[in-house]
Amino acid sequence: MIEIALISPAVLAIICLLLGRHTRAIEAISVAGAGSLLVSGSYLAFRTFDEGAIDEGIWFMDQFSGLMMFIIVLIGFLAVVYSVPYMRQEMATGEVGKRKVSYYYGFLFLFMLTMVMVVVSDNLGMVWIAVEATTLVSAFLVGFHNKATSLEATWKYLIICSIGISLALLGTIFVYASSLPVLGEGSDLHWTSLMAVAGQLDPAFLKIGFVLVLIGYGTKAGLAPMHTWLPDAHSQSPSPVSALLSGVLLNCAMYAVLRYHILLTHSPLGGGFSSGMLLLFGMLSLGVAAAFIITQKDYKRLLAYSSIEHIGIIAIGFGFGGFWGVFGGLLHMLNHSLTKALLFFGAGNVLQKYGTKNISEVRGVGRTMPFTAALLLLGALAITGSPPFSIFISEIMVLAAGIGQGSFLPVIIYSGILVVVFAAFMGHVVRMIFGEPPPGIEKGEISRSGLLPMVALAAAIMIMGLYIPGLLGDALKELIGLFGGME
Amino acid sequence: MVNDLSLDTINALAALILLADFMLVASSRMRSLTRIFALQSLAMGGLAAVVAFETGVGHIYVVAVLSIALKAVVIPRFIDYTADKIQVNREVEPLVKIPGSLLICAAITMLAYFVTEPIMELGTAITSNCLAISFATVLIGMFMMVSRRKAITEVVGLLVVENGVFLAAVSTTYSMPMVVELGVFFDIFVGVIIMGVFAFRINRTFETVDSTVLRRLKD
Amino acid sequence: MLTSMVQALLVLALSPLFTGLIRRSKAYFQGRQGASVLQPYRDLAKLFRKDSVLSHDASWIMTITPYVCMTAVIAAALMVPFITDSSLGFVGDLIVVVYLFGTMRFFMALAGLDAGSSFGGMGSSREMTVSAIVEPTILLSIFTMALISGTTDLSGISRNLATSGLDLVRPALFLALAAFFISTLAENARVPVDNPSTHLELTMIHEAMVLEHSGKHLALMEWSSMTKLLLYAVIMANVFLPWGIATDLTAIGLATGIVAMSLKLLLFGLAIALVESSMAKLRLFRLPNLLTVSFSLSLLAVISYYIL
Repeated sequence: MIEIALISPAVLAIICLLLGRHTRAIEAISVAGAGSLLVSGSYLAFRTFDEGAIDEGIWFMDQFSGLMMFIIVLIGFLAVVYSVPYMRQEMATGEVGKRKVSYYYGFLFLFMLTMVMVVVSDNLGMVWIAVEATTLVSAFLVGFHNKATSLEATWKYLIICSIGISLALLGTIFVYASSLPVLGEGSDLHWTSLMAVAGQLDPAFLKIGFVLVLIGYGTKAGLAPMHTWLPDAHSQSPSPVSALLSGVLLNCAMYAVLRYHILLTHSPLGGGFSSGMLLLFGMLSLGVAAAFIITQKDYKRLLAYSSIEHIGIIAIGFGFGGFWGVFGGLLHMLNHSLTKALLFFGAGNVLQKYGTKNISEVRGVGRTMPFTAALLLLGALAITGSPPFSIFISEIMVLAAGIGQGSFLPVIIYSGILVVVFAAFMGHVVRMIFGEPPPGIEKGEISRSGLLPMVALAAAIMIMGLYIPGLLGDALKELIGLFGGME
Repeated sequence: MVNDLSLDTINALAALILLADFMLVASSRMRSLTRIFALQSLAMGGLAAVVAFETGVGHIYVVAVLSIALKAVVIPRFIDYTADKIQVNREVEPLVKIPGSLLICAAITMLAYFVTEPIMELGTAITSNCLAISFATVLIGMFMMVSRRKAITEVVGLLVVENGVFLAAVSTTYSMPMVVELGVFFDIFVGVIIMGVFAFRINRTFETVDSTVLRRLKD
Repeated sequence: MLTSMVQALLVLALSPLFTGLIRRSKAYFQGRQGASVLQPYRDLAKLFRKDSVLSHDASWIMTITPYVCMTAVIAAALMVPFITDSSLGFVGDLIVVVYLFGTMRFFMALAGLDAGSSFGGMGSSREMTVSAIVEPTILLSIFTMALISGTTDLSGISRNLATSGLDLVRPALFLALAAFFISTLAENARVPVDNPSTHLELTMIHEAMVLEHSGKHLALMEWSSMTKLLLYAVIMANVFLPWGIATDLTAIGLATGIVAMSLKLLLFGLAIALVESSMAKLRLFRLPNLLTVSFSLSLLAVISYYIL
C-alpha cells in the first residue's frame, strides 16, 4: 500500500519530463496527479491515525510518519495548484521556456517522492539516502532561474547540505555500531528493530551518533548555526518551491532527527541528553533568526529566517518535552508548514507584481492586490503567533511545557524573542501592505486561481486555531507516549 | 584469530589514507588533487577488500569493488573532464597557504585522535583503530572545502569527507547493510554529477569557478 | 670503545668518497663524464696545502669555527652506529647527536655573520630559517624510531630493530624515513633546497656561509660537511633500516655488516643523485612548503604510531 505513495510521484515525474512542450497537458496531469497523491497520502495518514502503525518490511509508517505524509501531500498539492498560474506568469514575462516548465513539474514530483521516502523508510540508512536525494533533486529547483544569484544559492545549498548530511551518515554508522553487539549480524539498521532493543544499545556510541545526526540533519532542517544556506536557497527558488522547502523539507529533516531522539529516549541514555541538545540548538536558532528578521531588507529572506525561527520553536518544544512540549512540537510542525506556505504563495504574487524582493520598494499591496494583501496580513499575524490562529496554540503549548519543566531562563528568552519577532515581522509586512504603490504598478491580482490554495490555507489555519480535529489530536496524543512525554 | 598480515595491511592502508589527506592539502595542482584522491579511494577499496577477506562478509567485497570503480576511476575522470571543459587553470589557489594548512591538518589529526580514543576502546571490530584516521579524514576534507578557492576543489573536499565516512563505516561496523551502502554510492555519484553540472553553469555565468565570487547573497 | 673509534675514523675517511660517489652518479644521470670518485680527496688535499686568509674584520669566531665543526662531527661519528651497533651509546643518545649538528650549524651561521660580507649574513639567516623547521622534523622522526624500538640510544634502536625481524615494522617507520630523507636534503644543502655545486646563485644557503673561509679552514669546513652528509646517510641506514648491521663482532657478522652498509650507502647515494638530477632547485619562498611537508610527515609518523 505504501508503495503507491512512492510509485505515483515517480510515474508523474516521468510523464511530466516526457511530455516536454505540451504545457497544458502537463499542468492538467500535474494537478490531477497531485490531487490523487493527496487522496492516497491522506488515506495512509488517516489509516495510521486510526489503526496505528503500518509495517511493510522496508516501509514503515506510524502516526508520526502519517502526520509528515499528510503535510507533504497537502502542501505538495497546494504548491502544484499554485504553480500553474505562477509558471504561466513566468512564461508570459519570458522568464522561462516551455521545456523548462516540464523540468519544473518533473522535479517537483521527484522532490515530493524523495520527501515521502524520508518519512516512510524504516531503514535509517534509507532515510539518509532519501534526505540526500532531496538535496540533489531540489538543487535543480533552487537553481531553476539560472541567474547568478540563484546559482550561488544552489551551490551553497548543495555544498553545505551535502557536508552536513555526510556527518549525519557518520552518526548513522555509530548508531548502527551501537546495535551490533545486541543484534549481531542480523542488525539491519531498521528503526523498528533498533527500537525493539533500545534498552540494550551502547550509550557511548549513541551519544556521539546523536550529536553527529543532529548536526547533520540539523543542517538540512536549518538549525542555527548550520542554517547559512537556508535564506539563500529559500529566497532564490521559485515561490511554490520555497513553500515546499520551508514548509515540508525542513520538517522532513527534523523528522529524521526526532527518530533518533525517540531512540535515545528509550535507550539506557535516557531522553535528557538529546532533549538538552535540541533545546540548545532551538534557542540558538530562535536568537539568530530574530536578529536577522529585525534587520531584514528582502521579504523572501524574511520568510526564510522566520522558518529558522519556527524550526527553532519545534526543536525547543521537543527539547522541553513532556506532554505539552511534544504535543506542541508536533502540532507546530503542521501549523508552521500551512502558514509558511500561505506566506510564500503571497510573496510569490508580490514578487511577480512588483518584480523586486526589496521590502523598501514594495508599497501599497493593499491597493494593487487587495485579496493577496488580506491573505498576507492574515498569514503574517498567524506566523507571529497572534490568536486566534493555529500557531498561537502550539506556541503556547511549548511555553506551557517550559513553565511546567521549571526551566525559566529558556522560557523568558523564548517569550521575549517571540515578542520582538512579532513587532519586527509585522513592521515589515505592514509597510509593504499599506502606503502608496510606486508608479507603474497596475492594479489587479496576478491570477484568481493562484488565490485558491491561499484561501484554503488561510481557512485551515483559522480552523486549526479554534479546534484540533479529534482524529489528529488522538494520533498526536499516542505519539507523545513514543516520545516518552506521558506524565 | 586475526591474521597478522591482514592487520598489517589494514594499518598500512590506513596510514596511506592519512598520508593522502596530507598530500591533498599540500598539492597545488588540480590534476594532482584528483590523482591523489583516486589513490586514496584505491587504498580505501583495498582496505575494504582486506576486511571482507578477514571477516568473510561477502557484501564488503561488492563495496570494495564499487569504491574502487567509482571513486578511484569514474569520479576522478569526471572531475578532470569537467575541469578541462571549463578550462579551470591548474593552480589550486588556497586561501590558507600550504605550510599553514599542513600544520592545521596535523593539529586536526591529533584532535581526531583524542576525540576518538574513548570510542576506539569500545570498538569490537578488528579495524577499530582506523576510526581516528577516518575522523581526521572527515575533518581535513572539511578544512579543504573552506580553505580552497575553486568550486571544484570544494567537490574534492566533499569526496574526501565521504571517504572518511566510508572508512568509519568499514572500521566500526564492517560497512552498512548492503541496500544502504548501494544507495550511498548512488547518491554520491549523482551528487558529484550534479555538482559538476552546476560548476559548469557557474563558470558560464560568472566566467570563473572561483567560489569567492559567490558572495552576493548576504544580509 | 675501540670499535667506536675505528668506526668514527672510517666515517671520516670515507666521507669524501661518499660525496664523490654522489657527484659521479649525478654526472652519470645527467649524461656527463664526471670527475673520478676520488676527486673530493684531491680537493681536500689541495686545500690543506694552502694557507688560510682571514678578513681584517673577522674575530676569533671565524678561526675556531672550522675546528668546532670538525669536532662536532667527530663526536657525532662516535655515537652513530656504522658497521656494528656497538658505539659510544652510553655517552650520548639521539638528542646529543642532533644537538651536536645544531652546534655545528650555530657556529657556521655565526662565522657567516662574522666576516661581515653581505652574502654570509644572507646565508646565515636563510640557514636558520630552514633549520627552524628541519630541526624539529629530524627530532620527531628519530623520536618515532625511539618510540617503535623503545630506546633513545641510536645503537639500541638499530639493535632492537635489527634483531626483531620484521615485527616492529609499521607505517610510522616509512613516514619517519620520508621526513628524514627530506630533512637530509635540506640539512646538507642539496637540491631542491640548495645547490651544492655552485656558489654563484643569489639564493645559495650553505655556500654563502662558507664563502669567506679559505685554505685549511675551508678544507675543514668542507670535510666536516661531507662527514655530516655521510652521517645522515648512516643514520638513515642504521636507525630506520638497520637490517644487516653487525650485532656481534664475529667475522661473519662484520662481513655482512660491511656489505649491507655499502649497499645501503650506495643506494642512498644514488637516491640523492637521482633527486638532484630530476628536480630543479625550489624558489626560496617555496621552501617552507617542502619543509612543512616533511615536518608534517614526521608529525604524522608520531601520530600514526599512537593511532595504529
